[in-house]
Amino acid sequence: MRVVIAEDAAMMREGLARLLTDRGFQVCAAVADADTLRSAVAAFVPDVAVVDIRMPPTHTDEGLRAAIDIRRDHPGVGVLVFSQYVETRYATRLLADRPTGVGYLLKDRVADVADFVDALTRVASGGTALDPEVVGHLMRAGRDRAGLTSLTPREREVLSLMAEGRSNAGIAAALVITPGVVEKHVANIFAKLGLPSSDGDNRRVLAVLRHVSG
Amino acid sequence: MTGDNGPMTALRAPFTTLALRQAVFCVVGVVSAAAVLAVPALVPALGVLILWATGAMSREPVPAVAPLFLVLFPLTVALLVVLAAPTGRAMGTVHRRLADRLLDVHVDAPPPRSSKQVGALVADGPGWRAVGYGLLKVPLAIPQGYGVFCYVFGPVNLSYPLWWPLFRNHPPGTQLGPVWALTPFGPLGARTFAGTFLIAAAGLAMLLAAPWLMRAGTAADVAAMRRLLGPRRLAERVRELQVSRARAIDDAATMMRRLERDLHDGAQIRLATLAMNLGMATEKLGTDGAPPDLAQARELVTLAHRGAKDALADLRDLVRGIHPPVLDNGLGDALATLATSSAVPVAVTVELPDRPAPAIETIAYFCAAELLANAAKHSRATRVGLGVMRSGERLTLTVTDDGAGGANPDGPGLTGLARRIAVVDGLMRVHSPAGGPTRVEIELPTHV
Repeated sequence: MRVVIAEDAAMMREGLARLLTDRGFQVCAAVADADTLRSAVAAFVPDVAVVDIRMPPTHTDEGLRAAIDIRRDHPGVGVLVFSQYVETRYATRLLADRPTGVGYLLKDRVADVADFVDALTRVASGGTALDPEVVGHLMRAGRDRAGLTSLTPREREVLSLMAEGRSNAGIAAALVITPGVVEKHVANIFAKLGLPSSDGDNRRVLAVLRHVSG
Repeated sequence: MTGDNGPMTALRAPFTTLALRQAVFCVVGVVSAAAVLAVPALVPALGVLILWATGAMSREPVPAVAPLFLVLFPLTVALLVVLAAPTGRAMGTVHRRLADRLLDVHVDAPPPRSSKQVGALVADGPGWRAVGYGLLKVPLAIPQGYGVFCYVFGPVNLSYPLWWPLFRNHPPGTQLGPVWALTPFGPLGARTFAGTFLIAAAGLAMLLAAPWLMRAGTAADVAAMRRLLGPRRLAERVRELQVSRARAIDDAATMMRRLERDLHDGAQIRLATLAMNLGMATEKLGTDGAPPDLAQARELVTLAHRGAKDALADLRDLVRGIHPPVLDNGLGDALATLATSSAVPVAVTVELPDRPAPAIETIAYFCAAELLANAAKHSRATRVGLGVMRSGERLTLTVTDDGAGGANPDGPGLTGLARRIAVVDGLMRVHSPAGGPTRVEIELPTHV
């Protein structure tokens, strides 16, 4: 799997490149600003780009803007945006057109290498990876309106994991239950929230996110 | 000494030292008023002088009058606008000192000008108020002038009967003109010895009236002084506080932003990398049994170890930038510690009988840090002196160096300091001629 990294802190950039190479990714380019990222993506057309939000020159949201451009210009390239803090607004901007091949994670998540690599792989293959923090924000914000209070605690856990972009198998592994039980929870959630049941993880994420974020 | 105590006080009033001192003050007042009145006459006088000096006056008709005055008039107006406020300030200072010495009236000094630029000369509120005082001197000079006149000519007139026998011992029948005496109501003439007693009576009245006239003149003058020469009025003070409050808020916001940036780009990124390296190391060590890749795990742990130490150093620097812990032991310790970390040798002298408010200590510390850094960076100094002295409710921080001088008080570094200290009504004086040496004095209140 081919990946382009954009991160302005050299230490982090090199560490990421090392981690991903070690895990069998092919790191095509590791760049330090948004413009170089755009040209690197155009040149290599990787499977996925890992993009820091704050990069030179303004250190505000140039990474996010580059990520949105990449998603528009290269629909086949997955984009994993990562940052030291998560903003719900950024997540909604990123997911605005389609919640496929996109991720938004806290930088802290690289500490759990397996989870991080799993999320990156999911994004690269057209899936979704939303940070639990973002999902938590969205769920809290939409709590009353979205009827989430009618869910059992377990169902809320399953919903959060669904919103993060995990598959049934992923949810089952995370909660240490069988896939069959997960399916039952999912069906209950969709019924309680009045969502049309949909198969396929991506459409499911979209439905859940639209529901909680209104 | 208010005349209510009886006629004796009124009789004694002219012979007190206060009356004498008031008289001196009134004389200066009259001279000042004359000077103020003379200012508008400067243009024609200068024009006439130039015409006379160039010999143009002797030609008929005088050819250069109109063009000359076309140049002189705007020039004088411009000069007046630029110089009025500083001149007013100078005149105000003289009068405040005189009032202090002669009348025992103390008027506090107005705040100094904000900078030495021409703009600050013109936009100088206290300076223009002093100009207003100068203009008021003209009507104030009327009672003062009358008072002094009566004070001087009263005794003169009173003495006429004494002089008469000495100078008017002519043979009878000699035709002589009258002897004239000056009174506030015009000249008074006497042809006979008896007539001189009329003059003497007028003199006595003048002498008795003089202290009251002078007192009225000086009292009005002092009232004007308090309003126009003292510290700025409430409205100005409020405006000043609004400006300094806005600056303080700005500075606080900037500081928070800088702090966030420093943490984000420093410790936070180091810790994230550290976590990542430890995460990778954990994988290399495996969950149980023999580690799958011990060599890599070791290397990653070493990296993580170094990362943790770097993160600690980063945080330590950051913490010191927010509030140096040594400052808790007092400014003396903190400045001594600061001096040891300077690239240029620093001689520290701190004379503080007790501790100023913590906020003042912090401001003084950061000013000293900034000035020491400036000296090390720009001045090529070989020695730096750092002193803190306390006089009354003010604390003075002095930083001197033997470097190249030429420090710009309007540059970003020093204006930043000036802004910080203005928040607590502090003052900064920079003396840094090209070629050195440099002396920067910062005066702060000891309590906020």
